[in-house]
Amino acid sequence: MDTGNNRTENRPSTQSGDYLWDRSGEPDPEIQRLESLLRKFRHDSPTPAFPEIVRELRWPFFRWRIRLFPALATAAVGVVAIVAVTFLVYRTKPTPTTLAGWDLTNVQGTPRIGRKTLSAKEGTIRLGIGQILETDSQSRASLQADDTGKIEVGPSTRLRLLSMGSGLKRIALDRGTIHTYIWAPAGQFVVDTPSAVTVDLGCAYTLQVDDSGAGMVRTSLGWVGFKLNGHESFIPAGAACATRPKVGPGTPYFEDASAEFRSALARFDFEDTTSQQSAHDVSIVLSEARNRDALTLWHLLARVNDEQRVLVYNRLSQFVPPPATVTKEGILRLDQPMLDLWWNELGFDDISVWRHWERSWRGVSTSAREK
Amino acid sequence: MARSGDRSDLLAAGVEPGPVREQFASEISDDAMWVAAARDGDRAAFGQLYERYARMVHGVLLSKVAVGDVDDLVQDVFLRALRRLSTLRETASFGAWLAAIARNVANDYHRRSLPEEPLTDDASDHEIQSGMSGGDQDGPAAEILEAVMSLSESYRETLILRLVEGMTGPEIAARTGMTHGSVRVNLHRGMEQLRAKLSVSRAVGPEQEKS
Repeated sequence: MDTGNNRTENRPSTQSGDYLWDRSGEPDPEIQRLESLLRKFRHDSPTPAFPEIVRELRWPFFRWRIRLFPALATAAVGVVAIVAVTFLVYRTKPTPTTLAGWDLTNVQGTPRIGRKTLSAKEGTIRLGIGQILETDSQSRASLQADDTGKIEVGPSTRLRLLSMGSGLKRIALDRGTIHTYIWAPAGQFVVDTPSAVTVDLGCAYTLQVDDSGAGMVRTSLGWVGFKLNGHESFIPAGAACATRPKVGPGTPYFEDASAEFRSALARFDFEDTTSQQSAHDVSIVLSEARNRDALTLWHLLARVNDEQRVLVYNRLSQFVPPPATVTKEGILRLDQPMLDLWWNELGFDDISVWRHWERSWRGVSTSAREK
Repeated sequence: MARSGDRSDLLAAGVEPGPVREQFASEISDDAMWVAAARDGDRAAFGQLYERYARMVHGVLLSKVAVGDVDDLVQDVFLRALRRLSTLRETASFGAWLAAIARNVANDYHRRSLPEEPLTDDASDHEIQSGMSGGDQDGPAAEILEAVMSLSESYRETLILRLVEGMTGPEIAARTGMTHGSVRVNLHRGMEQLRAKLSVSRAVGPEQEKS
């Protein structure tokens, strides 16, 4: 019955039915509206990397025998058949699927993989690709992969295992703290965070991510590459580097630098919006810099404007003179080979290590928000 | 006047044109081939199955668990399927088998969440309320999803596959292993009930705003 005030009640069933069934016929405006509003909940995740599938043992002869069992049983050879079946079933259990991943151990509290909690009694379980490890404020966990390294997972942390390939081990740290000790070859262990990607270059480091996605890496051994949108930082042992969503890595610094130096650098990286503000903060950084802060000044070369770059060049030259093959003009136009040659004079490590690994994982898609 | 949910009307319209059936018949043969390849260790083949069935699994889960947990559970379903692939006897029934795994994963999810409250086939108030937890809780889309979640299980699963995941009726039948007739009945009756709920909420909404 048409009430006149509800346009859905008297819709001909053939019209709405066809469109509802297979989108044929005249579109139904209300269904179209519902489709349009509800599509935001639609599945849109890319295909994950699935773990290795171990080929099962196949005995076609055995399968043929299984189909004959009912007939054999009715032919009064049941007992013999059951014995045979029991034996063969035992022998032909499929090899379990091998899950690549990290071995997870409970250190404290109740870490969870998905919705499964891991008690202290359970020993070690496997964190597989695509699974999520979470700790609450009272929990800590340890991850170990024999060919990669060890990760201590702090409280209130959420991380996901993205891949465990032979050439690239990748996790995503959504929030919380991890302490990593990596013995895999340099460049093979990568951590995505909401605001940057860290690349291990043979080291131990601590990585923290807060709820806003901002992060901080502190290197205790070796060095770490920190990268987003081509904005990269190299953090040697003893140095730290902050990162912010949509900005990426800031400028690395040694934590024993003066408070004025660190404050000015933080404002320059993440707060300054005018050239006057940044010029002021760069001048503080240059005046407060010590010899070992050449690390920071080298990174600043590519981040300041042309006018400031001359000042940074002059100050860095006082601490570490550029090699003979590096010219001031080359540095001022940010010639990458010259910048790399000067980096090698700073005494941290040969930058070709980074360039090699950077090329090797450049093509790998990242879950960090490189937008 | 014929009602849109009349059985005779629905069954009469349940015969599909040839090309649609042929399309899904060829997909079933693809499935069998990919399942066989995946059993032999071909991860790319399993990836193809994921591409084809992820929306169906997502829709089945979305009809049963909170929005915020669905993506994780989709992965759980496929990992569980991967581990058990050797136990699948009829490779052509991969979709129905996978849908059953998805429903079991959703049931496990509820068992872990509510260990002392047995699940029923009908939507309980708790399930309806928890449907949006952890996800986007604002706006008309959330209200509509909540209305869908208040329908009975078979209706809301089919409607979510159609309205959220954008699958057609024949596609839903092919992916889940349900008959065309069942899908058609669920779609029509579910849609009828959804329209009624939405028209009531539209009528009540302005009155509440006035008061």
